[in-house]
Amino acid sequence: MNDCTTCSRRHFLRSAVAGSALFSGILQQLMADDGDPLAAHAPHFPAKAKRVIFLFMTGGVSHIDSFDPKPALIRDHGKELKLDHPEIKDRPGFEHIYLKRPQWEFAAHGQSGTEVSTLFPHMAKCVDDLALIRSMHTSHSNHYNATLGMHTGSFTQSRPSIGAWTSYGLGSSNRNLPSFVVLAPAQTYAGTQVYASDFLPGAHQGTLVVPGATPVANVAPCIPADRQALELAALRSLDERHLAAHQRDGLLAARLHSFETAFGMQMAVPEVFDFSRENDATLADYRLQRGQTTGFGWQCLAARRLAERGVRFIELIDTGSSGNWDAHGDMLTHEPLAKNVDQPIAALLRDLKQRGMLEDTLVVWTTEFGRTPFNNTADAKGREHHPWAFSSWFAGAGVKPGIVHGATDEHGLRAVENPVHVHDFHATILHLLGFDHERLTYRHAGRDYRLTDVEGRVIREVLS
Amino acid sequence: MDEKTSNHGAEWAWLRFILLPILLSSIFQSSSAAAEDAVAHFEAKIRPVLIERCIECHGAEKQKGGLRLDSREGWMKGGDSGATIVPGEVEKSVLIKALRYTDVDLKMPPEKKGGKLSAREVADFEAWVKAGAHDPRVVAAKIGGMNAADAKTWWAFQPIAEPPVPMPKDIDRFISARLEGAGLETAPLAERRTLIRRATYDLTGLPPTPEEVEAFVGDAAPDAFAKVVERLLASPRYGEKWGRHWLDVARYADTAGENTDRPLPHIWRYRNWVFEAFNRDLPFDEFVRLQLAGDVLRAGESGAAHAEGIVATGYLAVARRFGHDSDKDVHLMHEDVIDNVGKAFLGLSIACARCHDHKFDPVTAQDYYALYGMFASSRFSFPGCEAKGQPRDLATMLTPAEVVTFKKTWSDRLAQSEPRLKEITAQAQPVRTQLKQDMTAAKRVLAAAKVGEGGSVTFGEGEKLALDRIAVRQGEILQLVVDPRASHGEDSTLVEWEITELGGAARRWSLRDLLPTLLAGNPAADSPWCFLDMKDGPAFLGEKVEAMEGRAELQSWRSGAAPLVFVNTSDQPVAVWTSLPPRSFFVHPGPQGAVAVAWVSPGDCEIAVAGCVADAHPGGGDGVAFSLEHIAAAGGGPALAGLGALAREESEIIRVRDAEAGPEPVAPVAFAVVEAVPVNVRLHLRGDPEKPGEEVPRRWLSIFGGEAVPPGAGSGRRELADWIVRSPLSTRVMVNRIWQGHFGHGLVRTPNDFGSRGERPTHPELLEWLCARFEKDGRSIKALHRLIMASAAYQRANTVSEMAATRDVDNRLLSHFTRRRLTAEELRDSLLAAGGNLDLTPGEAHPFPPEKTWSFTQHTPFNALYDDTKRTAYQMVQRQRSHPFLTLFDGADPNTSTAERHLTTVPTQALYFLNDPFFHAQAARLAASLTALPDDAARLRRAFRTALQREPADDEQTWAADFLKSYPGTPEEKWAACSRVLLTGNEFIHVE
Repeated sequence: MNDCTTCSRRHFLRSAVAGSALFSGILQQLMADDGDPLAAHAPHFPAKAKRVIFLFMTGGVSHIDSFDPKPALIRDHGKELKLDHPEIKDRPGFEHIYLKRPQWEFAAHGQSGTEVSTLFPHMAKCVDDLALIRSMHTSHSNHYNATLGMHTGSFTQSRPSIGAWTSYGLGSSNRNLPSFVVLAPAQTYAGTQVYASDFLPGAHQGTLVVPGATPVANVAPCIPADRQALELAALRSLDERHLAAHQRDGLLAARLHSFETAFGMQMAVPEVFDFSRENDATLADYRLQRGQTTGFGWQCLAARRLAERGVRFIELIDTGSSGNWDAHGDMLTHEPLAKNVDQPIAALLRDLKQRGMLEDTLVVWTTEFGRTPFNNTADAKGREHHPWAFSSWFAGAGVKPGIVHGATDEHGLRAVENPVHVHDFHATILHLLGFDHERLTYRHAGRDYRLTDVEGRVIREVLS
Repeated sequence: MDEKTSNHGAEWAWLRFILLPILLSSIFQSSSAAAEDAVAHFEAKIRPVLIERCIECHGAEKQKGGLRLDSREGWMKGGDSGATIVPGEVEKSVLIKALRYTDVDLKMPPEKKGGKLSAREVADFEAWVKAGAHDPRVVAAKIGGMNAADAKTWWAFQPIAEPPVPMPKDIDRFISARLEGAGLETAPLAERRTLIRRATYDLTGLPPTPEEVEAFVGDAAPDAFAKVVERLLASPRYGEKWGRHWLDVARYADTAGENTDRPLPHIWRYRNWVFEAFNRDLPFDEFVRLQLAGDVLRAGESGAAHAEGIVATGYLAVARRFGHDSDKDVHLMHEDVIDNVGKAFLGLSIACARCHDHKFDPVTAQDYYALYGMFASSRFSFPGCEAKGQPRDLATMLTPAEVVTFKKTWSDRLAQSEPRLKEITAQAQPVRTQLKQDMTAAKRVLAAAKVGEGGSVTFGEGEKLALDRIAVRQGEILQLVVDPRASHGEDSTLVEWEITELGGAARRWSLRDLLPTLLAGNPAADSPWCFLDMKDGPAFLGEKVEAMEGRAELQSWRSGAAPLVFVNTSDQPVAVWTSLPPRSFFVHPGPQGAVAVAWVSPGDCEIAVAGCVADAHPGGGDGVAFSLEHIAAAGGGPALAGLGALAREESEIIRVRDAEAGPEPVAPVAFAVVEAVPVNVRLHLRGDPEKPGEEVPRRWLSIFGGEAVPPGAGSGRRELADWIVRSPLSTRVMVNRIWQGHFGHGLVRTPNDFGSRGERPTHPELLEWLCARFEKDGRSIKALHRLIMASAAYQRANTVSEMAATRDVDNRLLSHFTRRRLTAEELRDSLLAAGGNLDLTPGEAHPFPPEKTWSFTQHTPFNALYDDTKRTAYQMVQRQRSHPFLTLFDGADPNTSTAERHLTTVPTQALYFLNDPFFHAQAARLAASLTALPDDAARLRRAFRTALQREPADDEQTWAADFLKSYPGTPEEKWAACSRVLLTGNEFIHVE
């Protein structure tokens, strides 16, 4: 990028508008109108959160082995249960089910004394910043449907993702970067639908960043910058000539404008993912080697840098649709997955806090469902899908820190105290961003759609 | 919304502030008639409370618990828990119980909505119910979400208006009338280059060639443009362009969209049929009929006409699938079908009525389930899903008679062998019966046991009779029967068995000895061993498998999928469904029957036996049972030998027959829909298939008369197709789509919604006139193109007048032509055309992996990107993984009907033009074709003619010369750069 100093975006802009005073006026006028889906908007009411970092753990993290301590499960290990559970219904070999004790020890942490297991030793140190919800529940026990639901509020049909809704509601605050960025090493369940804009304008769709040497497609200039600048100048002159004959067409100008942003993105995007100016201590905190471009630590540090640069919704997905938290065979497969995310997430929270960014950034940690406190033998090593209960947490802007909200029953089977459905979870995130989830709507196919469908209740108890 | 109920708020406000004091002071205090008292009590005490405290959740907007309190009928019908008020019976009225807050589970209004009413208010309600619950509020007759009277007169449902007399000759009279009314001037006609470029993109999705432009510009004949239109309509490219418009509406995709996003095998035939139907100008009514019921309509035909009927129903079969086991979520597929039928053909959102009557349009939940029954009475091709691996119910494209002819050579060869095979069966039967009797009567159980999950049991552990000294006579049988039924199920079972002769020649027989020679025969000549299917047996396992799972070391004899015996001949464990130990012998019982290994004694002798039986495939909680038996009947061995000889002959006949006949020929199939058993379905209460309501007979929508599917008519799809094509809606909706394909917007700007939420037409009389013409022209779509393209409205330049820019920003009145951007397909095709490497051969099947290998799961879903240089309309589109190019440039959504492409302008598109390798390669191809030309002037001319279909202007020649001069590098690099600029510019990417 060093040879770009003479052809910065500003340089291009200046040359782009220098050609014609008339053109520049038109451009400004046109960019201000509603032809620009990413124009910044104020939310419904003032709010602390200006952006969201959404940490999604793929496959179903076991709540009873991580954030939801259940001593009774240890006491009652091996006791037979009778349940009408979606994962055991009509399933051969599951005629009898037995309670199964957690595999990790729990201990109280921080001033709040919130109990977390040894699976997440680093996150455990952050409990005083978290509003932990132990009473999450969802509407489906399949990965595909539950993952789609956690992202779009719809458990079957494609609908806009929560990130797309956020972008639609707030617009962009940095036109050199997309408003909604997804960092994922692989596709999770339900594919690209989890970050699609669906019927919302395409500008709100999540831009996928795959950790590695070239995280965003077509960003790296494939010709030298001075040549590209010459081509863009020639393009401007050709398009201006064309525009002169069609002065009233906003889209022509908008398209020309999009080349300026793209030109800027060629520098802004690599700059975001260039960690060379991060110091050694920061890299070590995120468990990163210098020059490393993969791993969840890389995703977390990239998330902080995207947040600093004004991206509205940053989603981090830890793994793809296989080799994830879906521990049917052996709960011990949670260990390496936990190790992959635990320290980086704690580092991200500390880093945001140190920089004062936790004040206006909402951090969300979740998965698509929990895991069963039982199995078909008490000695079975794994756990099955469990939509009735799981744990998630919020931290940062507008969130009451150091609290636990809701509870499951003594065995972690059902969310019994202050249950929080996925729709309530979404309503709360939108509320923290300044939106009434019932009023953030989009007219499509003759009907007003919203993220929370016809449900959703803001969880007031977790608000600061 | 119902007017009477919606006005209650206002009505009450008026009462409260004006009438109420009067009521209270005069009427209430006087002792007038009881009826008047009741009116006054309701108005003063009940209606206000209902409005303030109840109707928010129990009114037109929401019906919590299924209850409405905004009319007398509402509370009489009651909610999920039955009648809410019993007039005169305070204690029997659920409403009163709820208001009193005495029942813990039923407290109304709820705490979060303000809590219990005051004691006074509760007393008012008690008094009201006691006095008979007078309630004057009535609901106007409704169909779904519209008053019946309004629905009957809704513009879009009316018959198509008779055209005025004299019949206007052209479209422009209608357009001019409105423009004049608005005081707008029209733009001049477009210049010829602009016009032929517009027409060529509109009809074929491709740019004209420089030669075509030249010919048209130089053609002075008055019908020059009409000739261009005829040429374009006759091009096969036309069907690809207009067929793609239809595929947008029909939410065409190449995958199913369920959890594994399986490919839809053979659905490409439907895609190509649509293209071809447009090319031959299939009348629109036939186009509709075939897609909904081609299988029924063409049942009596043969050849191509029959096949076409099957393929066309791909329109229904392409429906999105859902879930892990798509059969369980079939109601969602039906919803997708009904949604699309409603939007595509009728411009109605019928699927809104799945859970409840439509909120705005005259469609009831009964209507929805009346249509649902038709599709439930049909068999949809099934793409497979995670729970059910492989596709099924693919529809053969041949008639039954054609199938016979198609398979004749094969079936004739089979028939040749049939007589002897039948004889063999007949000869074996009595022998088998005798053997069975022997096996019961002369059976001595030597050892028997159950083998638990993952366990191993020796014969000794299951010993019933002495195993160390058994006297056997020549021809007697020893058999080890492994049975799945005593435990959970079938499983791979390791068997060891050794027989030692005591005294005599001290011979030894071991199953291990069979490892190298297993395939020599069953029974092999001179071998005492054989392998038997005991389900209806004994019968020999007759199929030889030389390499199970493709592993040569795994050899087997089997009968169908199971039972079987097999060996691992390798010195190493073999990892297949489980890890099979080296050099071992296995049996595997079938799901309903045992498998046996039998040994026939070669002489009178004394023997000892030893062995064990082990579960070789732990997991799944199953296991087996075994029984080691001595059949002490000397005839057993010879009988078995006789059966064996017959079995050998039978398998040899089959081997020769199959070698000569070859595999069964597979008739061509389509992913389609055919008739199944006709059924009516029950309404799903609130859309929940677990909560069945009343049965709904299959019939047409009630707003259009609700005609029933006649008894014996089958599914009713054929009738549905007729009702749809007879409906004025189907004509209006399609005519509007064709208009939209030329002007960017329809005359009705909500092309999938002609209901109460849709827009009214901008030119209603024009729409009616076009519809009348369309029907008169036999619903020829090409005739409609000719009519539209001949109009001045279509041929105008895109110059926007000052007045149009302020008074008609959206150009609804068509004073000029509205510029449009190339669609994703047009953009890619144009880049390929500019590079000279567009392959115009129609695409056919995608290179999906073979169906039998499909084992996609939600963890490892189907995911592929097939790229070639064919037209973009032939590219493979997945439902779960968005196509990178089509998504970037706002292609159709393959998950739902796309009525209009909503274009976005985003920087990631600009990045594509800056840096995408495909784009750079195409520009380089264009540049390479230029460098062969003699000079820069000729090169520039060719570049402009190829990219923009025009000559460069003088100032552009200067521009180009300056650019080429200032741009560094070789001539190739300069021209590649120039080509990139031209192919990026706004002129290239827009149709003017």
